[in-house]
This record gives sequence, C-alpha cells and structure tokens, in this order.
Amino acid sequence: MAWRLEVHHSTTYRYTGQVQESYNEARLTPVTGHRQTVLSSSLEVTPRVTPYRYADAFGTTVHSFDLHQPHDHLTVMGHSVTETSAPMPILNQLGWKDLRSDRAKERYFEFLTLTRLVDLDESMRAVCEQASALDDPTEAAIAVFGLVRKELTYVPGATAVSTTASDAFNAGNGVCQDFVHVSLALLRSMGIPARYVSGYVHNRPDALLGESVRGESHAWVDVWTGDWWGYDPTGDVAVGERHVVIATGRDYKDVTPIKGVYAGAALDKLEVSVELIRRA
Amino acid sequence: MTDLFEGYELDRAFDEMFGRESDPRAPYAALHETLRLLTNEEFAERCATRDRSFRDQGITFSLSGEERPFPLDLVPRVIAADEWALIERGVAQRVRALEMFLADVYGAGEVFEARIIPRRLVYSSSHFHREAVGVNPPNGVRVHVSGIDLIRDEHGTFRVLEDNLRTPSGISYVVENRRAMSQVFPELFASHRVLPVATYPARLLEALRAAAPGGVDDPTVVVLTPGMYNAAYFEHSFLARQMGVELVEGRDLVCRNNIVRMRTTTGERRVHVIYRRLDDEFLDPVQFRADSALGVAGLLNAARAGEVTIANAVGNGVADDKLVYSYVPDLIRYYLGEEPILPNVHTYRLGEDEVREDVLKRLDQLVLKPVDASGGYGLVIGPQATDEELANLREGIIANPREWIAQDVVQLSTSPTHADGKFQPRHIDLRPFAVNDGQRVWVVPGGLTRVALPKGSLVVNSSQGGGSKDTWVLADPLATSLQPDRPPAPPSMLSEQALLFDAAPPDPGPMDGMGQQQQQQQQAGS
Repeated sequence: MAWRLEVHHSTTYRYTGQVQESYNEARLTPVTGHRQTVLSSSLEVTPRVTPYRYADAFGTTVHSFDLHQPHDHLTVMGHSVTETSAPMPILNQLGWKDLRSDRAKERYFEFLTLTRLVDLDESMRAVCEQASALDDPTEAAIAVFGLVRKELTYVPGATAVSTTASDAFNAGNGVCQDFVHVSLALLRSMGIPARYVSGYVHNRPDALLGESVRGESHAWVDVWTGDWWGYDPTGDVAVGERHVVIATGRDYKDVTPIKGVYAGAALDKLEVSVELIRRA
Repeated sequence: MTDLFEGYELDRAFDEMFGRESDPRAPYAALHETLRLLTNEEFAERCATRDRSFRDQGITFSLSGEERPFPLDLVPRVIAADEWALIERGVAQRVRALEMFLADVYGAGEVFEARIIPRRLVYSSSHFHREAVGVNPPNGVRVHVSGIDLIRDEHGTFRVLEDNLRTPSGISYVVENRRAMSQVFPELFASHRVLPVATYPARLLEALRAAAPGGVDDPTVVVLTPGMYNAAYFEHSFLARQMGVELVEGRDLVCRNNIVRMRTTTGERRVHVIYRRLDDEFLDPVQFRADSALGVAGLLNAARAGEVTIANAVGNGVADDKLVYSYVPDLIRYYLGEEPILPNVHTYRLGEDEVREDVLKRLDQLVLKPVDASGGYGLVIGPQATDEELANLREGIIANPREWIAQDVVQLSTSPTHADGKFQPRHIDLRPFAVNDGQRVWVVPGGLTRVALPKGSLVVNSSQGGGSKDTWVLADPLATSLQPDRPPAPPSMLSEQALLFDAAPPDPGPMDGMGQQQQQQQQAGS
C-alpha cells in the first residue's frame, strides 16, 4: 500500500556571536525514484536567501546558498510531500558468478570500493565468512544485516560523523550511520554492491492520518543483487512506505544533509527537528 | 686553438646537433659554425651578457631556497620546420582527444560503456572530482592551457612522456629565455628565421576571453595565484602583466549568489574568467579542503551556474593521471577516429597481476612513477636506484599498485650543453605549450627545452636541479609570409622574484584570520 508522507526537517545553528559570511550546501530534497514520487518540495532558509539548485554526481538535489549579512543563527528547513510504496519484491536475483563478473564489478565499482568511513578490519572480515559461504548473494546480504544487528547496539550519541565502520564495529555500538557503514563494508568485502541512503523513516506502521510524529534524519542501505533493493539495518526492516529517500552515495560524506564553511563566531548550539505526518 | 666541441662524445642516445658521423645536422649547420668559432673567453663573455640580462630583469633562480645564476644554457635547441609540423599536429590531436575524454568522464560516460577504459581506473584517480560533474564550460573548453611533455628516443622519434592539463608552468621561461638569447646572440637571430614565442600571452588572453560566460561582450579576466610564496609566482605575475589583467589572490575575490567580484581600490568589479594557478584542492573550501584560505568559497557553483569560467577546468587532473596516460592512444582512436601522431612511451599497468609480477622482477631496469605526481617527484630510475630504494619501491607497489606505473628507460636525446668549460652532451626533453580557444588548438612554436645538467642524468625537472634551453623552431624555408623573431622590445620592469618552472606542491600558506569552520550534523538514526 502506498503512503503519502509530509516531512518538515528543521536545522538551526546558533552561534556565540555574529557570523559575517556563510556558504552552505543542503541535501534535504527528495527526488522521484522507482519507489517514491515527490509531490512537492521546498527549502526555506532564515536569514532569507535565494538558493541555487543542482543535481550532484549521484543525482541528489542540492541547494547551495550563501549569506553575507551578519547573523547569529541560521535555520534551514526542508519541506516535502512524497508518495512512497511498499517494499518491492527482489526481482532478477543474480548468483555469485554473475555478481562477481568483470561487467558487474566495472559497472558498480563505486559501490564495491571501501572508503575512509566504510573500512574493514580483520575482525569484520572474520564475522562475514559464514555469510559469504551462502549459495545465494541475496541471502548472504540478509545474513549480513543479521550480523550487524547482532554485533552493534543502537546507542544514541555513541559515535560522531567521522566515526569509521571499523571503529563502530569494535566499539559494538553506534547510530544508524554506523549500522549502515558497517553493513556497507561487509557487503562490499563480499563483492555485493551496496550504497548509503539517507532520508527519513516514519516509526509507526500503524500511523494515524494527519498525526504529527517526531522523527530523525535516518540512513539505510541499498543492495544490488541484480536489482537495487533497500534494507534498514537499524530498524531491521525492509525499506518501504515508511521511508523517504533524500540522497544516495558511497558513504555519509556523499549525503551530508547540510555542510558549509563560515567566518565568524563559534557554533553554540545545534537544534534539529524532524516532523513526519502521514497524509494518506 | 681548440674549439668548444673538442672531445664531444656521442653515445647511444640520439644527439640533437650531431648525426652518427659527427657532422652537424642540417638545421644546426649555421649555429654549429658560429659556436665552433667562439673561444673560451668569448663564450664566457656571452655568459656574462646572459647573467646581466637576467639580473637586469630582476630574475634569479632559487633552488631549495638558494639563489643561483639563472640556469639557461646558451646552446639553443633547434627544431626544423617539418619536425615542428609533426609536433604541432600531434600535440593538437592529443589535446582534442583529452578534451573529449574529460567532457565524457564528467558527462555521459560513453567511453566506459564502449569499454575503452575501465571506469574503476578513472574513478579511482585521486584527481577525479565528482564535484565537477555537471559543470559545463561555456565554450566547451576545459584544457585552456596544456603542456605535453615530449622526449626523443634513441631513433630520434618524438614520444609523449606525460600530459599536464592542470596548471602547467614554464611558459615565462620560454619567453624570458628568448629575450635573453636575443641579447646574447643577436647575430644568430639575423642569420636564422626563428618563429616568435612572445605572442603567447596575447594568444592566452584571446582564449580566456573566448571562454567567458555567454552574452558577455567584454569579459574581465584575472590570474589567480596562491601568492608570492608559491614557486611559480614569478610566472603568475609575468602572465598577468603581459596580458594586462589583474593578478589576484583568493582573498581579493568574493562570490555572492554565484557572482564573482574582485575587490579593488575603487570598489568591486565583476569577474568573468579566472585563469587560476591554484590546485583544485585549494580552490573552493565549500567543495574541497575546508581549511584552504587560498581559494574562493562558492567558486565551483558559480562556474556550475555559468556565471564564471574557471581555467583550466576543475577535475582535469584525471586526464593527466599517468595510468590514464597509457590509454591515450586508444582514446585518440575512439574519439577522433585517427591514429596517434605522437606515440607514447611503453607503459606497464601494475594493476594487472601478470604485468606487475614481471615488473617486480626487474625493477632495477625500469623507470617507476607515481601516477598522480608531477615535477619528477617520487620518480625512481631503476638502474640508478639503491637496493634500499628498490626495496621500498617494491613494498609501495605491492601495497598500492594503482599508485604506480612503470616505463622502459628511454635514453632521452642529448644536446650540446656548456659544462666544465666545454660543450658536452646532456639529456633534454621538450614541453610544448598548447592553448585551446575553442576554435583551434594553438601550439606556441618552441616550448620549454629542459636539460638534465649532471652528466648522464635523465631527470630534467627544474625542481630536481634541471636547466633550460631556448627552443628555436625554424620557419619553413618554403613559406614566405612568416615573420622571423626579432629581438623583442624591452619588457616592462619586473620586480625581484624567484623563478622556478615546476610548481612545487602548493604551499597552503598561513591561515588568515577568517577562521573557517565546518558545520555538519550526524544522522542520528532512530
């Protein structure tokens, strides 16, 4: 069944004094894809700016904007209404031979390559030995998600944006970003193309229409075993009508919701809120 | 009386001046005769004239922080008209193919689908910048200026050694060497019809203006330098002055809503084209190194929006990656449907297991180069390396095969060079400079001949202690309308600067008070 999800994602940077200049890029706008249709979207920035919009190398919508008036806070709000669909059946499943063919390796090179954040150590290699011995890559991927659930405990604030997969794995806890980085490292090491997906998830399968629910910026994994399919290792669910996709990439660095540089006072406080409303 | 060529010994290498029988080659006949008649004392006087000429211009040469006499060797390198025609066509062909390759890599990626070059090879280059995807230059040009390094093998065949498509330097040497030579040997310029090089800045300015955003009739062009501590600062100021445009640093420019302006004493002025001599990594702290105080925040998106042109384009380095180099002949065939006019040097790709195994067995016979360095940094010449160097190299290659290529040792051609009071053969290369204005690729007749000064050395890079020679392209004897080079009018005063042709890795310099900070938030999850 399809859902219609309204999302309001607000980020406020409060500074200890005045900021004179600020240059930013926001990745907060969903794009229409095979599992979702964007009905409306907008970006609202205070102080007021005229953002410039473009699509990056991964097809993500980016808004760039700069401020040149002194300001002591910056608020960036992404608003959208998206129609999402239930999990798709995994079609066109390939065996290991096809998945590990030169053609597939070449096509999905970026999503098979480790990065600074998606790294791997010996202990990680050891845990996925059993999974990679499975006959079917799709089953192996699902087994990897089971492993990640077993090895990692969800602990808010346990890690930072720069925490690597191996650091999180060895610490044994993390947030969704870490669940995703660890999953990506294990999948890629087995030769299964996998990418980072950022977006939002509505936490209640039985959500009432019109009810506003607090959410968070979320992340999950897209796996390619002949077709792309999504899995949310933190929530341990298939990606479906409760998920809204914002961006995809190799790791968190490709999908950072807001990044920028500024000149002026230090950051005092960061306030983030995500509001989700099921409309249909 | 013995002449300065006494005891000149030919070896395996191709000698530019002398054929096998020790007779001067035809283009060198008159030059040889003039030089042969010079006594030691007379030659020393010419050297003094040269040193005075550079000193009067305020040009010294600094190597590893030490000021030295400017290393221009007084024996010019001569290229006959027919040889030059081949180089000119070959360089232009290469630039055209590499332009198409860059447009493809940052666009549709058809070259991958056609399986001409592996995607993984291009995407794993440290100079492939995804940030440049979707930045389409107004007149389609990304390689406004290039330096295609050529060498001449044992048979006299010109081969491409490497491509430089980012910020190749050395053109100021070409122009200054010519100016000095015309004072040292005025009689040779009377007896030879040498094609002029001093038109380069005007040609460059034309190409930069042609690259301006659409609808701008009278574009403002600036030269962007990392600053006076950069090894190539002299060249940056030289080009700005010769083109009659402003030389600016990052802090002189400001980008607001994708419009770039420079701060001047009379207020702000819109800028349309930036000839930048600053590496990609330092160009825009929003996209690349956030701690760079040398660049201009917002610049790349201004280019993406078509409000300013960055020359050379961001991301060009992927096409001069030395592993990509090994595919350039295939790229020429694929994009142009032509056979390469200038062949490559045979190159071994160490990512291929069998090739790597073979290369590791004979490291002491090959030249090994890091794929993404320029200026001769990291280069290892197997036959001249110590056992320890070779052992380190082996480890480096095994750890990171993508980071290295191997090439056969090519005996670079030799040219008579003044050393220890007489002329001796020294190895040389040639860096012709090409300017693409979108209509045609123009190659400055001559270019920079670099010379490895120590006997037997094959490393010509100035950053490694090389010198240079004036490079004479002779006018086609059948052409009648060509203007030979005249001693140029005295250039405007230069301030005292150090001069180096290979830009060392850019010095990020001290941070100014801007205190840039990064802001990003973590995805907390639920």
